[in-house]
Amino acid sequence: MKRSTLYPILIALLLCTALPLILSGKTGEAAPEFTATASNGKTVHLSDYRGKYVVLEWHNNGCPYVGKHYNSGNMQKLQKQWTSRGIVWFTILSSAPGKQGYMTASEENSYLAKEQAAPTAALLDPAGQIGHLYDAKTSPQMVVINPQGVVIYDGAIDDKPTTDLEDVPTATNYVNLALEQALAGKQVETPSTRPYGCSVKYADSTH
Amino acid sequence: MVAQVLHNTPACRQTKRNGRGGYCIKREMWRSHSSTEFPRALELGVALLLCAAGAQAAGTSIPHGTLELVAENQSIAPGHDFYLGLHFQLEKGWHIYWINPGDSGEPPRVKWELPAGLAAGEIEWPTPRRLGTPSIVDFGYEDEVALIVPMHADAKLASQGPEQLAAEVKVLVCREICIPGKAQLSLTIPVKSQAPAPDARTSDLFTAARKSLPQPAPRNWKFSVGDAKDSFVLSANFGHQITQAVFFPLGESQIDNVAPQKLAPTAAGFRLTLRKSDQLRKPIERLKGVLVLSADRAYLIDVPFSKPGAAKNTRDIGIYAAQSLKEAQQK
Repeated sequence: MKRSTLYPILIALLLCTALPLILSGKTGEAAPEFTATASNGKTVHLSDYRGKYVVLEWHNNGCPYVGKHYNSGNMQKLQKQWTSRGIVWFTILSSAPGKQGYMTASEENSYLAKEQAAPTAALLDPAGQIGHLYDAKTSPQMVVINPQGVVIYDGAIDDKPTTDLEDVPTATNYVNLALEQALAGKQVETPSTRPYGCSVKYADSTH
Repeated sequence: MVAQVLHNTPACRQTKRNGRGGYCIKREMWRSHSSTEFPRALELGVALLLCAAGAQAAGTSIPHGTLELVAENQSIAPGHDFYLGLHFQLEKGWHIYWINPGDSGEPPRVKWELPAGLAAGEIEWPTPRRLGTPSIVDFGYEDEVALIVPMHADAKLASQGPEQLAAEVKVLVCREICIPGKAQLSLTIPVKSQAPAPDARTSDLFTAARKSLPQPAPRNWKFSVGDAKDSFVLSANFGHQITQAVFFPLGESQIDNVAPQKLAPTAAGFRLTLRKSDQLRKPIERLKGVLVLSADRAYLIDVPFSKPGAAKNTRDIGIYAAQSLKEAQQK
């Protein structure tokens, strides 16, 4: 008897602990905590950056939509522009081993050097844990977290969902808008958009 | 010329798809044309070359496939609207996207270059397929698809000589990875004053393309859609029970593409629960999309949302759906 009454309570408790994970990671909600190994060998806890704005950039070096932003120098420019203003920028690699965009630490370090990329760190997420935590669908999907640890933007990098380099100069960049508006103490006008790009190459991806 | 001759032989006709392309020949057929001293390897090589030449003639190369601009009629005439088609043939496992690509990808985009007096309409999109994984669901087409486009020919179109119709198509082709492609297509077609006759070479392709388009929903079918916290509930009254239905949203970021669509058959139809997208920030006024009941029964639906508090029970649904249908017709 005792056992049978305990089970529903246990299940309820399990659900309670699982629920925040399912619900978080979206605009207006608390950014889920994660611990990751960076390509520079350091261990990164998101909670260590409370008090700062944090940008998450989903990356896959073989994706043509990501290529648009690196080949045009746009992503590197954004990284330099915002990290120089004290904002933390994490490039996240959620491709599973064997999938497009998967890189070892040394491969990623060479890539960062070659591209003259300047994120605070590149986080290796081959099991897709951070990707799934934030429900990242595409590369380059972008998330902006405020100093209170709340997601204030989640979605596309800009409003031109193409692979054409010539679209970069005329696009409205949603990450810039979110950060500029938040830094000015304003409400973020476009807090969420459909992220465009290549599907994140999780272990279960087939397309 | 050789390819053309072989194309007309019975063995080759078997390889034709939709009456077009596929100039591949069987080796036995080639043997009858070749002298006996022809080494077998060379023989096969020539046959393969012919195959390649035939495939190239049938379409412009795009990543992992070909794309061809085709016309339904042999000619065009002033004042006679007509159809063109973009015929995609993809290698196994590769796909392109629907107008709403789903969670990733992008639909093909066409830039027409047409002579004065001709104007292109919008692509008529065939019913897509769900291309899904547990984390990401896209909507698109695998293997082969023809996107047909209505064209308007002005009554003042000069009716002499051939005209060149051209299109630049940007297309994203994906399997596990995505490759963007760009194709410059063109088609030369005579302009004649008499009414155009259908082109037998493309008639099968256009027939198949039209069959794959979603149809307008029958007028006596009643739909309503309500808001239920984290979901939309699409209710349908067809006068008979429906046990299978899948909804493809035309609008991006309205429903969660990954979430299972929960179908509850009712005596007169069904109720389909669709989880809202996390990216949906503002309320939407209408739910538009394609409702697929079976492989060959797909319907375009456009259902305005019921007023808050309306359609609380099934008896109300008919009334509100009737109003909705009227509204939809008035639009």
